[in-house]
Amino acid sequence: MNPSRRRVAITGMGAISPYGEGAAPLWSGLRAGLSAIRPLRHARAEEVRVKVAAQVPDSFDPAARFDERILPQLDRTSQFALLAAREAVAQSGLDFASAGLGRRTAVVIGTGVGGENTQSEQARRLYGENATRLHPLTIVRVMPNAPASQISIALGAHGPTFGIVSACASSNHAIAQAAMLIRAGMADVAIAGGTEACITYGALRAWEAMRVLADDTCRPFSVNRRGLVLGEGAGVFVLEAMDHAYARGATPLAELAGVGMTADAGDIVAPDPAGGAAAMAQALADAGLVPEEIDYINAHGTGTPANDPTETMAIHRVFGPHARRLAVSSTKSMHGHALGASGALELVAVLGALAEGVVPPTANLDQPDPACDLDYVPNTARDMPVRAALSNSFAFGGLNAVLALKRA
Amino acid sequence: MNASLSDESIRDEIYAIVAKQAKLDVASLRPDATLKDLGVASLEAIELIFDIEEHFDITFPDEGANFDTDTVQHLIDAVRGALQAKSGGSEATA
Repeated sequence: MNPSRRRVAITGMGAISPYGEGAAPLWSGLRAGLSAIRPLRHARAEEVRVKVAAQVPDSFDPAARFDERILPQLDRTSQFALLAAREAVAQSGLDFASAGLGRRTAVVIGTGVGGENTQSEQARRLYGENATRLHPLTIVRVMPNAPASQISIALGAHGPTFGIVSACASSNHAIAQAAMLIRAGMADVAIAGGTEACITYGALRAWEAMRVLADDTCRPFSVNRRGLVLGEGAGVFVLEAMDHAYARGATPLAELAGVGMTADAGDIVAPDPAGGAAAMAQALADAGLVPEEIDYINAHGTGTPANDPTETMAIHRVFGPHARRLAVSSTKSMHGHALGASGALELVAVLGALAEGVVPPTANLDQPDPACDLDYVPNTARDMPVRAALSNSFAFGGLNAVLALKRA
Repeated sequence: MNASLSDESIRDEIYAIVAKQAKLDVASLRPDATLKDLGVASLEAIELIFDIEEHFDITFPDEGANFDTDTVQHLIDAVRGALQAKSGGSEATA
């Protein structure tokens, strides 16, 4: 780590998840080991083979949350991102009405698939009903940069603003990119995270065809695992130069100490332990941490046959004997796999673990797999001090992004 | 029409699909070869399954899906089972 480099604090977090609106219900659900995976709610649920999902509850009412002049512009993906951003900014205490702050604020938001609900609905009208007129705001709802743009407009943030797309690693890539903007001096504050609302008939059919979805529940690292369970939601964070945060008397939730990003450059879907290991090693080196300082890893842990042993192997490679001493858990067992939002939902779990000294469990781990031989904190949270933690995200396309967090 | 296929023709059609995906000569295929043996891994195996489903107009169940280690004979049996289920009027997707 370069000692002269600006350090990056996290001073606010917000989320919407299958646990409802807010980071607090997400964290308390995960800490309690409660799964939010439920029978799929969808108009065509009877037709598809997918039976379960982790969906934002129906109590979420966009009309109650957004001005009616803005709402027509917002795909569900942007609704989630805006809601989470509002919460994060409120927690940070930053006042965007104050002079100059907007000019020094970046917005970087990841999404795996962008405005999927709008895309799907308009395609249905076009091809299914032979409609010739689509909604005039289709383009501005669908574009993958819409969540970032909507946040920048809502806050008056004029700094570098863009979307990030790297499938299931989108959140971590976005947060890493935001941290680098702050380090580079291009912004003092960055609103960063990920959002996804991907549970449409078309997407369900496409995932079904790939045969990676579990039909019962998500069982990471368990020998009876049957695949991933789709989720949705958003997590958004306020990243801030540490000196900027201290100067205004803010209390950081944690330090974003390092990032690591690599590509397998191999198979388009099959994970390579070398790629994940290199990203973890890079995040440690970037943070100036030695492996022994990491107490917890929030795993990518999708619950697919391929991911879990590969990730386990990667952790062994990076951590050596310490691999067996640290705690590893997959919270996807509870909040599902929200694709481009998953890293952000998982960062809420990591921040909770750092702040409270409680590691959330891996739910549904009832039959250990000999190929997955680490301490996965099965089924019940564990009280233990967490000084520093990694959060792994590995994406289809062979893309790996790892965040290193330290107690502030 | 598929329901009336003989076992031999089911086998021959599957051989043709597998040979095409694996880029092998049909004559070199053996029923006990796994897809992995034939160099059909990961995504290619999923594509192969899709091709077979499309060809026979059937849907394989997800349960126990581990196509890399499946043999060609398993595929033949699974197709025959799915065709029988279909001609029997029950759902092949169960």
